[in-house]
Amino acid sequence: MNKTDKKLQNMAKKVVKQIENKNAPSIDIPQRGLSNVFFDENERILKIGDKTSKRTFINIAHTKKFMQTMLVSSYAQRLVRDEKHAGIRELYYALKHSVGTGKENTFEDQSESNMVIEDLERMLDVLREQLNLTADRRGFIYGDIVIVDNGDRFNASKLGRGGWSVPGNIEDIKFKKSNVDYILCVETAAMSDRLIEEKFPTKNNCLLIACQGQAPRGIRRLLSRLHTENDLPVVVFTDGDPYGWYIYSTIKQGSINLAYLSNTLSVPKAKFVGMTMDDIETYDLRGVTEKLKDLDKKRIEEELKYPWFKHKKWQKQLNKCKKMGVRIEQQALANKSLDFVAREYLPEKIEAKDFLP
Amino acid sequence: MPEVKNADELFKDFKAQSVSEFFKKNAAMLGYTGKIRSLTTIVHEGITNALDACEEAGILPDLYVKIDELGQEHYKVTIEDNASGIPLVYIPQVFGRMLAGSKAHRNVQSRGQQGIGVSGAVMFSQVTTGKSTKVLTSTGNKYIFKGRVQLNVKQNVGEIVEKEKIQNKWKWTGTIISLEAKRVLYNKSRYSPFNYLRMTSIANPHARITFIEPDGTRIVFDRGTDIMPKPPQPIKPHPYGITPDDLITMSENSSKANLSQFLEKDFVRISSGKVAEIGRQSGISMKTSTKRLSWGDAEKIVNAFNNIKFFAPPTGGLCPIGGDEIRKGLETTLVPEFCYTITRPPQTYHGGILFIAEVGIAYGGNAGRQGIEIIRYANRAPLIFDQGGCGITEAIKSIDWKRYGIRDLEKVPLTIFINIVSTHVPYTSAGKQAIAYKEEIYNEIRNALMDGGRALSRHLAGKRRLYEKKSKMNTLLKYVPETAAALAHLTTGDKARIEEKLASIITEKYVVPEVEEEDE
Repeated sequence: MNKTDKKLQNMAKKVVKQIENKNAPSIDIPQRGLSNVFFDENERILKIGDKTSKRTFINIAHTKKFMQTMLVSSYAQRLVRDEKHAGIRELYYALKHSVGTGKENTFEDQSESNMVIEDLERMLDVLREQLNLTADRRGFIYGDIVIVDNGDRFNASKLGRGGWSVPGNIEDIKFKKSNVDYILCVETAAMSDRLIEEKFPTKNNCLLIACQGQAPRGIRRLLSRLHTENDLPVVVFTDGDPYGWYIYSTIKQGSINLAYLSNTLSVPKAKFVGMTMDDIETYDLRGVTEKLKDLDKKRIEEELKYPWFKHKKWQKQLNKCKKMGVRIEQQALANKSLDFVAREYLPEKIEAKDFLP
Repeated sequence: MPEVKNADELFKDFKAQSVSEFFKKNAAMLGYTGKIRSLTTIVHEGITNALDACEEAGILPDLYVKIDELGQEHYKVTIEDNASGIPLVYIPQVFGRMLAGSKAHRNVQSRGQQGIGVSGAVMFSQVTTGKSTKVLTSTGNKYIFKGRVQLNVKQNVGEIVEKEKIQNKWKWTGTIISLEAKRVLYNKSRYSPFNYLRMTSIANPHARITFIEPDGTRIVFDRGTDIMPKPPQPIKPHPYGITPDDLITMSENSSKANLSQFLEKDFVRISSGKVAEIGRQSGISMKTSTKRLSWGDAEKIVNAFNNIKFFAPPTGGLCPIGGDEIRKGLETTLVPEFCYTITRPPQTYHGGILFIAEVGIAYGGNAGRQGIEIIRYANRAPLIFDQGGCGITEAIKSIDWKRYGIRDLEKVPLTIFINIVSTHVPYTSAGKQAIAYKEEIYNEIRNALMDGGRALSRHLAGKRRLYEKKSKMNTLLKYVPETAAALAHLTTGDKARIEEKLASIITEKYVVPEVEEEDE
């Protein structure tokens, strides 16, 4: 029997046994959130703690979530047995229907089913992919590497300007030879397009990976695998603001939400090339900064406290950002000229190893 | 030069007051103001007479009231009782003389403190329609007296203007009066005969009152108990609360030779030692003949009364309705879901005037009238008018009802019953429809209301808990089928069995008691 199926069954059997014994059924779920996450100084990644919370059916505050957990488990079991895959939005719609008098639904919003899926991952120590659930694809790769996916073999530099869009689950993908020196991971698709037009990957012998905002799981897994399997260094290029820097920290150390997956999703040796607050002075970009909003300032305060931002160089950046009260976007470099980023900014900084840790 | 008129000229137009003039001038005092109130007063006088007659005869009252509309602002009121009837010789007195009746000079708590008795109704009828009042009565002997009475104001006597004897084939005992009145109006407002009868029924659960409205609607205010109230005992007056006029009247009726004996024997709580003190303080010889008590001396003695400490009067003269009886009255008439009643122990105000506060709180059912309904009584008699200026209302308003779980005073189905029992109810005015603010009475009402409020809040909290428990259970049960189906699929188990077991865990945990919590 499939391992995931077995895990789901065992969980359900325990619940049924409680019911048979006339006990209020409950399940233990590792807690989510910052309070149950710690930064492992040795491995340099975020890890999940051992705090669990009890989800009890007869606790009115838990009842609905308990039901949702069982519904998602049951659906995932069916997927695994039928060897089918479903998107997490498909799962939401497949399980959404009215309960009771009809004014209420099993799930009111996809965020509810998404949360339950993450709960199951933590509780059963399985990956979403092992539950045969997939997320929308986001992000792409461009550059000289041969990839084998589902029997198709291709070079990611020969697929046109769009590159290859990375699916949610990349476990079955194989990498053949790569003729590059490093990977440049870029926050925005627009900046990636700019770099491709300027032939930056070819000229600098690198792979370009666009994460398009917060790096999705597929991209993070891809980075992690390329780093370990093909021994490629990872350099990250984001906006110069607390959000961009957090994207970097997620790629490097993992995220709070998915702390239980950090060891397969993170690249502790990744380096950060920009944008930094120092760039504003070095490249005289004062005129193209954006003012910080209240939310941005709040985010800075939070990041100042995270143990994985405790490095003095990062503390300096965050404090400087707070003090200057501005942020700088990658595309602000276009203020110099369109090719400035590809011709001067990136090559110079990467050559000089002008990185943040 | 201004013209000086001589006395003959001035007295040329002086005539004896006519009946109607007398009536108009004293209408407010007598309770005949306003079209609705006048009709209610007529019913009040008839009902009071009837209830008193039944109680004195030891008969459970079975009263019948009918109001017919004869024309515009022209009605006929018929009231029937099942008391022992009126002997023929007393009929002119009962219906014709102001201030007649057996209680006027006794110090007894009575509901007949208002108005001037049924003779007032006879007079009102006479003044507004020119008609006499129809009376049927029998003491249960061979004949029924059937006749008409009217008032001779000059002589303060009633006159029988028509009479006949009917064979009493039915051995009927009781009295029926029927009178017409103009410039009156019937409606169903708070001031109407309907509400008056409803309130009377609550305070007199031993009475059954059948009421036929002008449109023919028949309403029965049924009996809640078969136990007759204890008749109030006449007690000698207490020195507090006595006026010089009371003292003169008492002295005239006294059989005692001198003031010393008169004060000691005709009052309560005046000992020989107190007599001596009264003598010292007033400077009047206590050996003075009772018959020669002058107004000035009476004033001095009353002043002395008020400066001397007397024991509080004995409580035998007060006759409260009693908590149980009030409960029966409220439950029969309002069918509330919660009821709290209490008769407080006797207290005194003005240092010596006895009173008892009785309070009832009814919640739910037919209680309340678009919010809190206040029903006030003095010695069991409903107080319908002047609610705003009443000390009772003030006490009720001073309570912070939100503290007792009542959120919306405008909507709460709550009736508050207050009866003030006293030999001297401190009315605000001659209209006798509102009780003056007296700190002691105010505090008694408040204390009773707060006790009742606490009981009510426990009831409401219990109700809320019950409701919350129920809705919690229903919420939980709602998720059972889905959960059971999923579990059955996951374990390839029996869905029905899991569903049933899971549901029973919930229903056992949230057991809802069959009977609601005790009211208290």
